[in-house]
Amino acid sequence: MNAHTILRPLGEARTYRQLLFLLSAAPLAALWFGLLFAGWLAAGLLAVTPLLVLVLVGFRKLTWLAATAEARLARSLLGVEVQAPRAGLGTQGYWGRIRGVLADTSWWGQQTYLLLRMLVGGPLAIAAGSAVGASLWRIVTPITYHWSDESFGSWRVDTLPRALLFLPAGLVGLVVSAWLIRVCAAGWRRPARVLLGAGHATDGAEPLPSLDSVLRRSLPYHAAFFAVLNGLLITIWALTTRAYFWPQWTLLSLGLVLAFHAWAVFLDRRAFDPRIRALAVHVGSSAAVSLFLVAVWAVTTRAYFWPVWPILALALVAGIHATVVLATRGDRAALARRIDALTASRAGAVTASEAELRRIERDLHDGAQARLVALGMSLGMAEQKLESDPDAARHLLAEARAGAHEALKELRDLARGIHPPVLADRGLGAALTALAARSPLPVEVSVDVPERPAAAVEAAAYFVAAEALANATKHAQASRMRLRVTKSAGSLNVEVADDGRGGADAGGPGLRGIRQRVEVLDGTLHVTSPRGGPTIVKAVLPCAW
Amino acid sequence: MRVVIAEDLALLRDGLTRLLRDNGVEVAAAVADGNALVNAVLREEPDLAIVDIRLPPTFRDEGLRAALEARRLRPKTRILILSQYVEQTYADELLADGSGGTGYLLKDRVMDVDQFVDAVRRVADGGTALDPEVVAQLLTRRRTIDPLEHLTQREHEVLALMAEGRSNASIAETLVVTVGAVEKHVANILAKLNLAPSDEHHRRVLAVLAYLRSKD
Repeated sequence: MNAHTILRPLGEARTYRQLLFLLSAAPLAALWFGLLFAGWLAAGLLAVTPLLVLVLVGFRKLTWLAATAEARLARSLLGVEVQAPRAGLGTQGYWGRIRGVLADTSWWGQQTYLLLRMLVGGPLAIAAGSAVGASLWRIVTPITYHWSDESFGSWRVDTLPRALLFLPAGLVGLVVSAWLIRVCAAGWRRPARVLLGAGHATDGAEPLPSLDSVLRRSLPYHAAFFAVLNGLLITIWALTTRAYFWPQWTLLSLGLVLAFHAWAVFLDRRAFDPRIRALAVHVGSSAAVSLFLVAVWAVTTRAYFWPVWPILALALVAGIHATVVLATRGDRAALARRIDALTASRAGAVTASEAELRRIERDLHDGAQARLVALGMSLGMAEQKLESDPDAARHLLAEARAGAHEALKELRDLARGIHPPVLADRGLGAALTALAARSPLPVEVSVDVPERPAAAVEAAAYFVAAEALANATKHAQASRMRLRVTKSAGSLNVEVADDGRGGADAGGPGLRGIRQRVEVLDGTLHVTSPRGGPTIVKAVLPCAW
Repeated sequence: MRVVIAEDLALLRDGLTRLLRDNGVEVAAAVADGNALVNAVLREEPDLAIVDIRLPPTFRDEGLRAALEARRLRPKTRILILSQYVEQTYADELLADGSGGTGYLLKDRVMDVDQFVDAVRRVADGGTALDPEVVAQLLTRRRTIDPLEHLTQREHEVLALMAEGRSNASIAETLVVTVGAVEKHVANILAKLNLAPSDEHHRRVLAVLAYLRSKD
């Protein structure tokens, strides 16, 4: 640390530019005060008139002009690269425009900067000016001591040697001032860049920000405003009467507003069910108001605890709200679960029906259609040979007839696969008996159902049985099967058991298909199939008897 | 004449084989999937490959893919596609290279044995055989300026039968007119559609098809 480093700021032009920047705050402070005060006063007075939008737009424009001037100052004197972004007005509608202006972060940033320049920059300008001025005065004391007539108590400055004593003080003062100027100016850099450059240039055609995001983004500014304003007021109080702490009123009232704002932003962070959120807002605001009232009581009469009445009333209302919300919470959760289940089963039903339709199309294509083509070929060839080779023709015609029989059989099977006629005509008992009879393995059938359930339930029960029997026949290597259909309170139960080798895959296509069928009707399917052991497929279908 | 058949349903494969053999067409190989078809075409070098469009494993347009692949590997391969549905896009793919020796028929046509065999021979000779359903779709395509509206009723009919790939004699027989009348109609059609006249019948058919298939 040598003399050169210490004295350097004095010699650099930068220091003087920064000094100019700091000093400029003094006249500008008055201007910005006028602008902000007049703007907000006009906005407040005309808030309920249609002129509000004009006031706000004009206010924002003027703020922008002021910010541009400040930005110019910051650029040239502080060396900060900053531009005040211009905001457009493309938003639609009266309320849209108002919301657009109020949500404009660049506007709030600019206002905050102007406020800072006013409240902090003003005093700082005076301090800087005084420091530099005092130092300079001390330096020229040897010249002016004749007519300045200073005295410190009884010691008068009236001789040159005494005047010269002040010279070093003045020089030291200048150096110190220079350093302080550098430090203070550096402190202005960040606010200038952040606040003046906040937001970005828009043409107003962007979608409006949501209320939540506006609240969230403005909270820091609001808190800063609260802190700065109250700090200023407290400082004024401290420097003046000191009798009665009048800033408590602004602290409390503005604090209440800030508390509401902060609570709203806090809640936004948590993804609540909207009704719970409304309840939280209500309870939070009631609590804030209660605290406010207690604070008011604490700083005033303190005789009789009058806040107890409003607090009780608020608590009562909040309590009623809470009871209502919490009591119906269970219902809503159950409802939400039900909706989830229905959505899943509906998707399952759609997939199942699509798979069914594809299967039908394939069966038609490969089965009945192919049979008809073959039949046609036989007839065509028979036509050809009618004269030349009648025996061959007769043979071909017989083949054609057999082909027609086959085609009809395939169509019948297909129809049964869609909906068996005997099920519709005679019911589950007859249909399942017929199903068992067609099975290559012995099936013991017992159907104990007093009356016919709904057609959809019947069909589901039939296809569960059909698929389970088919699976058992194909894979289980069983020797016997048992099919039981019973009724219990509110449901129809279908149980298919076989004594085969087990190991059935509950996720396999066939079982998955019937599971979807069953779940669409709000039923359940259980498949128990341990390796080696017997397989039991049980479907429970809800049914109003 | 030697052909190779590709059809996955045994019933139809056997029926088709029998029908062709009865009508003097030798069936060199009858296969059931696309890969086997390509191999059979390369091995047997038939005059024609009759292919069902739906073959395993995908059962979509496997047959078409295999036939076009066989044609790529052995350029002069003639293809006759059979299907239970006719799709305009498949016809477009088949006719895309503009050469002859291509057919696309509904399986229904198989039942009209004489006409089917006629189509088989035609395609094997390098001509075309398009199902009337496909031709109908081609003809009803809307255009902003439709020169087809300048054709007379008779010329329309001749055009439709030409697009199917039929020979002049066959067209004359169907419409019950003389072959000379058909020739005159064909010449008028070519003139009205601004197509170059050509002596070779197959080439004229291809020109007509190319014209009908072109978009505006």
